[in-house]
Amino acid sequence: MNMIRALIAEDEPILAHTLLQTLQRLWPDLQVCGVVENGIAAVQEALAQRPDVLFLDIKMPGKTGLDAAQELAEDWTEDVPFPLVVFVTAYDEYALQAFEQAAADYVLKPATEARLSKTVERLKARLSQHTERNAELERIVGQLRSLMPHVPASSERLGIIRAAVGNQIRMIPVAEVIYFEATDKYVNVVTAESESLIRTSLKELIPQLDPDTFWQVHRGTVVNVNCIQAALRDESGKLTLKLHGRPESLAVSRVFAHLFKQM
Amino acid sequence: MIYPTPAGPRYSRLRRFTLDIAITQVFNLIIAILITYVVRRHGGFFVNLVISMCIGTLATAFIDGGRLIMWGEQKPPKWKFVLLIIVSLPAAQFLGKALAAIMLGIPVEDMSEMRGGNATAMLIGAAVCSMFIIWFFWSREHIEYLRAEAEAEKARAASIEKQALQAQLQMLQAQIEPHMLFNTLANLKGLIDVDPPLAQRMLDQLIHYLRATLCASRSQITTLEQEFSLLESYLGLMKVRMGQRLSYTLELPDHLRHLSVPPMLLQPLVENAIKHGLEPRVEGGMITVRAERNGTRLTLTVCDTGLGLDNAPPSTGTGVGVSNVRERLQALYGTGAEFSLNPNTPSGVIAELAIPL
Repeated sequence: MNMIRALIAEDEPILAHTLLQTLQRLWPDLQVCGVVENGIAAVQEALAQRPDVLFLDIKMPGKTGLDAAQELAEDWTEDVPFPLVVFVTAYDEYALQAFEQAAADYVLKPATEARLSKTVERLKARLSQHTERNAELERIVGQLRSLMPHVPASSERLGIIRAAVGNQIRMIPVAEVIYFEATDKYVNVVTAESESLIRTSLKELIPQLDPDTFWQVHRGTVVNVNCIQAALRDESGKLTLKLHGRPESLAVSRVFAHLFKQM
Repeated sequence: MIYPTPAGPRYSRLRRFTLDIAITQVFNLIIAILITYVVRRHGGFFVNLVISMCIGTLATAFIDGGRLIMWGEQKPPKWKFVLLIIVSLPAAQFLGKALAAIMLGIPVEDMSEMRGGNATAMLIGAAVCSMFIIWFFWSREHIEYLRAEAEAEKARAASIEKQALQAQLQMLQAQIEPHMLFNTLANLKGLIDVDPPLAQRMLDQLIHYLRATLCASRSQITTLEQEFSLLESYLGLMKVRMGQRLSYTLELPDHLRHLSVPPMLLQPLVENAIKHGLEPRVEGGMITVRAERNGTRLTLTVCDTGLGLDNAPPSTGTGVGVSNVRERLQALYGTGAEFSLNPNTPSGVIAELAIPL
């Protein structure tokens, strides 16, 4: 059996160091292939290193551990099994018991050595079962879906979007929008004729949209269902959407693929 | 000098005026009795009563009405009020007499004759009566102002107390938040093995922070030195936790060390800067806390290079600390304190508060 490789994402240096040392003591065979200190680096490193185990602190700068896990689940290519995820947090505000199915485990800081060795046992047991490992991705996708921050719908529905284009404000009726696409700090509002940037985040925008008309199909894309012509599945199982009124097609992440099962 | 507006007018202006006129009638009656039976002028009780009522009512109408129209429920400026009296009294005397003459059907010229002819004595008598009546109204007013002021003062004290309690509650709920406490404990646990002296120091800082935060609301006042030493403990803890990502400077000039300030004004601002500005920022940053004296004011500045006002993650409850600071400043200093939040360049926030010394 190959060396088991682990990645640690923890923003507080002393805690990262302590976790690393404890793991080395409890599990000498484990090879820690990296320690990163923010959520963005966690996603990058995990995609680059393809570890077997991922220790994810939940409260991190850049991106929370939950967002990082979702992003990984969306971008992971299936040639390598998805890592077993252990969420680490100082305070259980996310009711992490709910993760027990999806995540391999969760650990509360400060963790006792006894608790961590239990985690190690669990991880070892799961890693030895190959069938289990292949189902890991599906399991975490299912869990993330149900755990995705359930944003309460805002009482105010957006009717018109005001987007600054040059020195004019363009008024765009929401019904004419084909899709919204998140870019770095902006959201790109795409209609049949135009694209305009508005200074907001998808997270803030989604609660103001009618959930029956606008579906999130990717962490960075919300699409108007009336403008979807068809959903196509390629040989590798990837879903893309063909649109009315736009030549480009949109990728559907596996977290949202369940929306396009046939009736 | 103008007295502070009493808390809520007790009467509307019109009701008040009517009441004053009614009280005046009692005085008019007394004056009529005095003139008829003590000074013994001829003309009879009824005639004297009509004359006294006309003059008295007009005098009250001019003085009291003028005051209510010009200054409302406020205490009038003294000299302007005296001027109003000097103008109103002779006018009321003259017009009142004329009015009474018409009502009684007697020619005006006969009036002075009928009342005894001694004009000087009449004038002095009228002035004395008027002064007495004015004094009566004035003191009644004054007592009411004092009472209203005492009530306002009591309400103010109560609101300060309420806000202090609220601050304490929020402190307990928000500031010793479980994340902060458990992460600090987790760091301590790790340090005990690796670096016992640093663990010792961190534990001292945690104790100081907990004690100061939990006890702060019990004292109404603290010194800048104590406030800064509390900040030192808090930032020291955060420095151990955040490592290279956090640097900080505290600038407290020696001559301001023993200055008294209300507790927990600076700390929410510093904790905000860490929580919403520096902790969520990948690169971390720098925080500077400064106390300065500008003439008769003390300026306290918390300056960070974090994410800034626009970029802080939205759902993290921004504003609790800030609104609490605003409310407390309002309660403690009224309009005498200033508080502002401005963007720092190239990134971050500058929070500045100025209070009178």
